[in-house]
Amino acid sequence: MDSFLPGAASLVDCVDKKLLVILRDGRKLIGWLRSYDQFANLVLQDTMERMYHGETYGEEYRGMFVVRGENVVLLGEVNEEKEAHHLRSLREVPSAEINAILKKEAEARKKMDLVTGKILHARGFCVDFAETDHY
Amino acid sequence: MTDGAIAEPLDLVRLSLDERIYVKMRGDRELKGRLHAYDQHMNLVLSDVDETITVVDVNEETFEERIRTVKRSHEMMFVRGDGVILVSPPGRT
Amino acid sequence: MLFYSFFKTLVGQPVVVELKNDLSIAGVLVSVDQFLNIKLDDIRVTDEKRFPHMMSVKNCFIRGSVVRYVQLPSAAVDTALLQDATRRENSAEK
Repeated sequence: MDSFLPGAASLVDCVDKKLLVILRDGRKLIGWLRSYDQFANLVLQDTMERMYHGETYGEEYRGMFVVRGENVVLLGEVNEEKEAHHLRSLREVPSAEINAILKKEAEARKKMDLVTGKILHARGFCVDFAETDHY
Repeated sequence: MTDGAIAEPLDLVRLSLDERIYVKMRGDRELKGRLHAYDQHMNLVLSDVDETITVVDVNEETFEERIRTVKRSHEMMFVRGDGVILVSPPGRT
Repeated sequence: MLFYSFFKTLVGQPVVVELKNDLSIAGVLVSVDQFLNIKLDDIRVTDEKRFPHMMSVKNCFIRGSVVRYVQLPSAAVDTALLQDATRRENSAEK
């Protein structure tokens, strides 16, 4: 066994790097990884939350985070050059504005999921997890 | 224990190794494929997989529903056990 | 430990990890741990329109619990060996 540290061992080379962290509720955090443990609990410093919608994006400064590992979907190292290039192709809007749109869309989706969920359930599919897994 | 004996549920899965099985997944998915590996979590490795996704389209105005299936195939795949509802051995008919 | 060992034999192979939220990430398998957390390099997201935030990311760590499937290259899998290992593992545990 090459590197038998208990779990999440491979995060060691992400420490002190700028990371994108996607949470189970769909939020995207961008911050500097300062520490982690075997459950992928994370400490993020100078964290920004970023929202995207179509050709627009919004940002909000959030500061220091301890993220509980079970809420982490994935994390990736941000290539700042690529990030800057991508953001230049989008238009920045106030985060409140974009949040309102995203919230509305999420509500519409939830309503639709309820309808389709009932139909699928009637056909013998198990769809009870939809609430928690729609990150 | 001899290889053919069935003493507990997962023994039935062991007898299905190298056979085509049916897997019902949480959500709107079903799989058919040849079983090559499994463990106590129902993590699986399947090959020549036919995946069926059942999609419900609902017209937002009339609330009319249309059900269709999307098919995908995968040459080899790992399936995470927490998504598995049931594994069915190949039919004896 | 069967699947942990299995994935370790696939390090360096191109795989596609499909998450439970339908995000599919193609990349080269870099490492795996006993929770089946996965690290990928040279990643590409199939549906960039739906997941624009992934565009500035070149490598990633995926928490094992959010994985639905991992699509594998069949040439990299010795099925006979895998079945033997499965039989061994599942009788040794009793």
